[in-house]
Amino acid sequence: MGEVGAVEQSQAKTDETSISTSDLDPKFKYEVAEEPGGENIKVCFSCGICTAGCPVSEIDPDYNPRRIVRMILLGMREQVLSSDFIWLCTLCYTCYARCPQNVKFTDVMGALRNMAVREGHVHASFLERVEQIDHLAQQLRHDLLLKALPGKGGEEALSRSDSREALERLLDGEKDCVDG
Amino acid sequence: MAEAAKEKVGAVLVVGGGIAGVQASLDLAESGYYVHLVERSAGIGGTMAQLDKTFPTNDCSMCILSPKLVECGRHLNIEVITCAEVTAVEGRAGDFRVTVRRRARYVDLDKCTGCGECAEACPVAMPNLFEEALAARKAISRPFPQVYPNCFAIEKMRRGRCGVACPAGVNVQGYVALIRERRYAEALALIRENNPFPSVCGRVCHHPCEQECRRGEIDEPVAIAALKRFVADWERADAAEHEPPPPFEITRAEQVAIVGSGPAGLTAAYCLGKCGYATTVFEALPVAGGMLRVGIPEYRLPRAVLDAEIERLTRFGIRIRLNTPVGRDLSIGQLKSAGFSAVYLAVGAHSDLKLGIPGESLPAVLDGVTFLREVNLAHSVQIGKKVAVIGGGNVAVDAARTARRLGADVTILYRRSRTEMPAIEEEIEAAEDEGVKFLFLTAPTAFKGEGTRLVGVACTRMTLGEFDASGRRRPVPVAGSEFTFDADTVIAAIGQTPDASFLGEGSAVTLSRRGMIEVDPETVMTNEAGVFAGGDAVSGPASVIEAIAAGKEAAHKIDRYLRNERPEPAVRETEADALEERVLSYASERRPRQAMPELSGEKRIADFSEVKLGFDEEAALAEATRCLDCGVCSECRLCETVCEADAIVHSMVDDVIELNVGAVVLAPGFDEFAPGEKYNYGFGRFPNVVTSIQFERILSASGPYAGHVVRPSDRKPPRNIAFLQCVGSREANGGHAYCSSVCCTYAIKEAIIAKEHLSTVEPTVFLIDLRTYGKDFDKYAERARNEYGIEFLRSGVSEILEDPHTHDLLVRHVGEDGLAKLSRFDMVVLSVGLEAPQRAEQIARALGIRLNRHRFALTKEFAPLETSRDGVYVCGAFGGPKDIPQTVADACGAAGSASALLACARHSRTRIKEYPPERDVSGEEPRVGVFVCHCGINIGGVVDVPAVKEFASTLDAVVFADENLYTCSQDTQETIKRFIAEHGLNRVVVASCSPRTHEPLFRETIREAGLNPYLFEMTNIRDQCSWVHRDAPEAATEKAKDLVRMAVAKARLLEPLHPRSLELTRAAVVIGGGVSGMVAALALADQGFPVHLIEKEGELGGNVRRLRYLLGGGDPSIYLKDLVARVQGHDLITVHTEATVVDFSGFVGNFEIGLMKPGKTYIETIKHGAAIVATGAQEYGPQEYLYGSDRRVVTALELEERLARDNGPLNSVQNVVMIQCVGSRDLDYMYCSRNCCSHAVKNALKLKQKAPEMNVYVLYRDIRTYGFLEEYYRKAREIGVIFIRYEADRKPIVEAVSRNGSRELRVTVKDEVIGANFAIKADLVALSTGVRPLAENRGLAQLLKVPLNDEGFFLEAHMKLRPVDFATDGVFVCGLAHAPKSLDESIAQAKAAAGRAGTILAKDKVAGEGMVSEVDRDLCSLCCTCVGMCPYEAITYDYNEKRIEVNEALCKGCGTCAAACPSGAMTARHFSDAQLFAQIEAALV
Repeated sequence: MGEVGAVEQSQAKTDETSISTSDLDPKFKYEVAEEPGGENIKVCFSCGICTAGCPVSEIDPDYNPRRIVRMILLGMREQVLSSDFIWLCTLCYTCYARCPQNVKFTDVMGALRNMAVREGHVHASFLERVEQIDHLAQQLRHDLLLKALPGKGGEEALSRSDSREALERLLDGEKDCVDG
Repeated sequence: MAEAAKEKVGAVLVVGGGIAGVQASLDLAESGYYVHLVERSAGIGGTMAQLDKTFPTNDCSMCILSPKLVECGRHLNIEVITCAEVTAVEGRAGDFRVTVRRRARYVDLDKCTGCGECAEACPVAMPNLFEEALAARKAISRPFPQVYPNCFAIEKMRRGRCGVACPAGVNVQGYVALIRERRYAEALALIRENNPFPSVCGRVCHHPCEQECRRGEIDEPVAIAALKRFVADWERADAAEHEPPPPFEITRAEQVAIVGSGPAGLTAAYCLGKCGYATTVFEALPVAGGMLRVGIPEYRLPRAVLDAEIERLTRFGIRIRLNTPVGRDLSIGQLKSAGFSAVYLAVGAHSDLKLGIPGESLPAVLDGVTFLREVNLAHSVQIGKKVAVIGGGNVAVDAARTARRLGADVTILYRRSRTEMPAIEEEIEAAEDEGVKFLFLTAPTAFKGEGTRLVGVACTRMTLGEFDASGRRRPVPVAGSEFTFDADTVIAAIGQTPDASFLGEGSAVTLSRRGMIEVDPETVMTNEAGVFAGGDAVSGPASVIEAIAAGKEAAHKIDRYLRNERPEPAVRETEADALEERVLSYASERRPRQAMPELSGEKRIADFSEVKLGFDEEAALAEATRCLDCGVCSECRLCETVCEADAIVHSMVDDVIELNVGAVVLAPGFDEFAPGEKYNYGFGRFPNVVTSIQFERILSASGPYAGHVVRPSDRKPPRNIAFLQCVGSREANGGHAYCSSVCCTYAIKEAIIAKEHLSTVEPTVFLIDLRTYGKDFDKYAERARNEYGIEFLRSGVSEILEDPHTHDLLVRHVGEDGLAKLSRFDMVVLSVGLEAPQRAEQIARALGIRLNRHRFALTKEFAPLETSRDGVYVCGAFGGPKDIPQTVADACGAAGSASALLACARHSRTRIKEYPPERDVSGEEPRVGVFVCHCGINIGGVVDVPAVKEFASTLDAVVFADENLYTCSQDTQETIKRFIAEHGLNRVVVASCSPRTHEPLFRETIREAGLNPYLFEMTNIRDQCSWVHRDAPEAATEKAKDLVRMAVAKARLLEPLHPRSLELTRAAVVIGGGVSGMVAALALADQGFPVHLIEKEGELGGNVRRLRYLLGGGDPSIYLKDLVARVQGHDLITVHTEATVVDFSGFVGNFEIGLMKPGKTYIETIKHGAAIVATGAQEYGPQEYLYGSDRRVVTALELEERLARDNGPLNSVQNVVMIQCVGSRDLDYMYCSRNCCSHAVKNALKLKQKAPEMNVYVLYRDIRTYGFLEEYYRKAREIGVIFIRYEADRKPIVEAVSRNGSRELRVTVKDEVIGANFAIKADLVALSTGVRPLAENRGLAQLLKVPLNDEGFFLEAHMKLRPVDFATDGVFVCGLAHAPKSLDESIAQAKAAAGRAGTILAKDKVAGEGMVSEVDRDLCSLCCTCVGMCPYEAITYDYNEKRIEVNEALCKGCGTCAAACPSGAMTARHFSDAQLFAQIEAALV
């Protein structure tokens, strides 16, 4: 009986901090794989290239594609589907393009979003809202950029633009959606 | 058997000259087979030659490879065929017919001495592919200095397009290259081979070459014509300096008459003159030159220039008879009767075509050519003030520009638009510059005259209609657009025809409808025999270069006519490949062409001065360097002129060789992954991103940066380097789904070496899994981490950005904390993967073998060296990515397999070496020759080699001293032999590198020169001087002198020694009856040697008995059963079960082993010549993780047994946890057991296939599914197996927890990515237990006198190149006894050991060693100290004779006895007291 065996002392120590796999859902990964876009989720070998190149991870370190995949693979169903982070992806496809195992992480996010709606973590209208936000954010970016570019009439474009207000309006309504 | 045997051929084809091919060739040749080694490149050496060091011992790659290359190259029974490829293999195993296509090397192998003068002279620089394009080489080159054959080769692609485009076939690329080298005279000579008018063509040629120039694809074409003019002007400017050419030597009786002294006629005369014919040129005009003289205006071609060019031709002996029109007074018939055997009509086209419109006969309506002729001849032609030129060709433009110079207002009327004008664009532009006006889409309909005076030109406007036969749009008159153009002079220049009136009536020469002379295009002969024609007279008006081409062609055909046919000369026929594109990609820097200075428009029209002023030297050189050398060799033939050995043969052509062999060994190697595809890593765009093989070259002392670790952009030492793993490996996307196996360890090696060269550098290795699975590789990685401070970071890299100012690199990765990070590195090394050779399909087609889906050779699980075709074996990386030791083992194994196949034909094709008789040097005064080696820069870069040589020549008894760039190179061996003969040397000293690697080579050399091989002494001034005293060159030089003085002092006293060769027992013993042992035994028995297979247990089979299935699906039990049956049924194999080795004695060829068997009271002894250790290993018996105390904890092997048995016990199992690295990579066992990862994957797959619902967790440190095994790892993930990585210092915890009355088995592990502990309730825990060496290895090792490594595995003689040999000759090792390995690797290695043993048993005798001890019985006091001291038990005391006996076969010459002997009776030959004391005294001077 060596230093790493099942000695009584180690029992107490590990009990406190561990997540028991019995509380997790090992089938979750298969379900994600059944979703369109989730097919390759299981082949991830955790190289981290997705996270390394992710523009969202740069801004929000809590958003970590590699970690999200691990959570799926280990069956952390509730933690994943109820999380904020499945909504943070900007669908830039950088991870998708560079993944050596062709996990198609961007598409996995789509699968997770659909599952989150289906399982009642968010209302279907929230997904619509997210799509609207994406669209308006895109437009806002476009207008801001025009403003930053001298002589492109950006001022005018921005003043004409209602994207900012529309976005704000949308965000005011969003809270209810998530809570409801 | 005997009948079939006769049909087998005792020769083997080896394909590929890398280390695998070289090793296989050597083993086969040593086993009694003749070897044809076919190598695609110009020399053998392969990738290993490019490597700097080899892991894990950090041996210099070239230093260990080079002796093998030399040995292979000089082996009597190996024919090395370079620049060659196998194109077809027909027949069957035992008797193949092989077709080999050999590319022309353009250098005669027998003549080339490897001196390198040619490469010095060659003007064409190319990216050096051996240096991975980090340096340049010449079009004539050799891959590397130590290459075999040490012979240059020329790289030719399809000829440069410029030269192909030239109608006269001038070697354009060649003369441009020569101009670049300032070899102007040679450039001119090269032009004149095909074109006697460089000055003319440099000015007026329409240069189709420039249209084709590939530089034009980057920016603008090279100004080729201007360069030609430059060299021609250079010569004329300094005519006195340049020797006038000697006249042609007239060697032919026939004379040729040439009618017309234009470019066609004079070129024909010139070319015929070169062929030895006397020629006479008949010219109607008072001047020579034809259209060059009377057609081209002087401002384009000054008269003096033309005069000089024609004058030069007359100096060759060409006679030109002016004012001698052929026709009225001198008919063709008369010429013939006057003794001319052939007549060439090159009369040109001097007759202007008529417009055929009213008013054409007015005196002010002139004809273009006539006008130009008159101006050229007289300079004074009356024209009016307002001139209309009709036409759009060159004559029209020339006439217009000439008329401008005569003071007229000139307008060109042309019936089409500007784009359709046939005149040269530059000329049109020049006319515009000079004020010539243009009226396009205008055609004259009549010339209006008043009396004889012209008053205007009636014109009509035109429009462009349908396309006509010339591909231009046909002009159509516009109705009602008529107008009158005001002009007082018209010059009509709409075309010319020859004036055929000279032919006279009754001539058999016929004319075409258009008035041209008709010839047979094949022979260029007219209808009249012996009368030929060419130039404008045949083709109609054309360019100068076309006329020259016609003259050249005519000369060639007239010569053939006069000789009654002759074969066409060989044409350059080479196969272009990707290199051409590479040429373009390496030279993308934009550099516009040099502008040609010229007179301004106003100055020009003042007179007839030349408009274009030509390049000065600076401009010409700048322009010439713009050439891309896209044909590689330019055939400038400078190499020919400098080659003293006359070895260059530019006319060489490819040839085909037929070979007859019994077997084929394939070793074509691999290609490195080309990371250009990985665009997000910036390779090819960012200079400081290099591939691992480029980095090898950077590290190499002989590499492009002389071993200084600097980055390519600024040659500054980098502060840090990132190594990126898995570039082109483990990528499901890019067709490289497999692991390349070697990259992890080579990256570590490169990081360590970089650190050794540059201690300040900080290397970081970015990796996914660290796959250091080979023998001692984990220890190597630990050293890298702990001793060298190399950082390992588990992260892929998303992209690399470059700071454009500093060329630093920004690497996007994840940090230790798992978060995205951008880090700055000075340099990035991409650890590129290994892929199947580009030509894999061609090889497969030629050899008739199948490839696997990764394009490597297809092999089977139990037959790793056999391809899909009988008799064709594969070894090395072509069978899958692998490292050097495995490659070498494969090679030995493939050679062994071929040996077994052809055993009955052994020695049927081999030759025996004949040495010259040994010279008796007894009684001669010592005459020592000293050779001091530069070793490239290895020694020469530090030690002052010339000074050492000078010093050596002053030493007593030294009669000759020399220095060599590489003393070990093939040509130097010849040099040494020559000097031995010339200077009557009887002792030779070489001051170079290690005698361990190179001494045998030099001994062989002096033996070939007739000296006893022991009259040789070597001293190591590389390791002991230049390497260790790199920073003190002067002291290093002094030490080198001391070492040479010592070597010479000893050499003076050297004596010839004559080793005794001994009989041998042609039988083998294999210890161990597992798969390795059985495979080895069978392989040797199949070679025809009796084998004793010794197994300690009661039955054969070993560890494999416990395996139930393999990853690839094979059934090991069926394989094993078959193997045992074959072993037991083999006539030549005697199986000894339950036998223990208790005694072992003897020496190579004459061993004796003692066995104990149960129930026997005596020791059974077996005599044999070679022994193989295949004792295997055992499974680690785990103490940890509750193994032994909880039945649910089993080992992986136990799980496999259970899985194979039945489903029952697994029914209740929901969660299975496998724990990797149990008893591996830890503490005293710091090595990887290599099999456990794939074993776990195998079991996991099996479990999931049986019960898809089951949860299978694999807890691992690194998943090491190297090579094609990677695919199974992916498959396991795909099927849902969960892999959780744990850190070495945070091992999983296995506990038995009481809950609800039952004892629950719980495994806790931290997932490093999520950062949380996970507790898995396990129903079954499988421990992937490591491989442990057998405890009894120690005893066996002592008996066999072979070493073990720290862990207790048997230690081979050399990690890289002798992976199955022991340092003790005749004893070999294979299988798990050597180190952990997979079943197929064990099989390959067993075959390797058998193959190596076969090289000994194949011989009649064992060659002994001459350097052995001898006893002086007069001095011996019989104290027997030596008997006890001798580690080889070579010394015995003979009780009967009462004397000491030395067994020369056993004695290794170690000298222990001589040192120990108290009475000085023992002497180690070659290291006698006298010799050593002389050396010591020399050291103390």
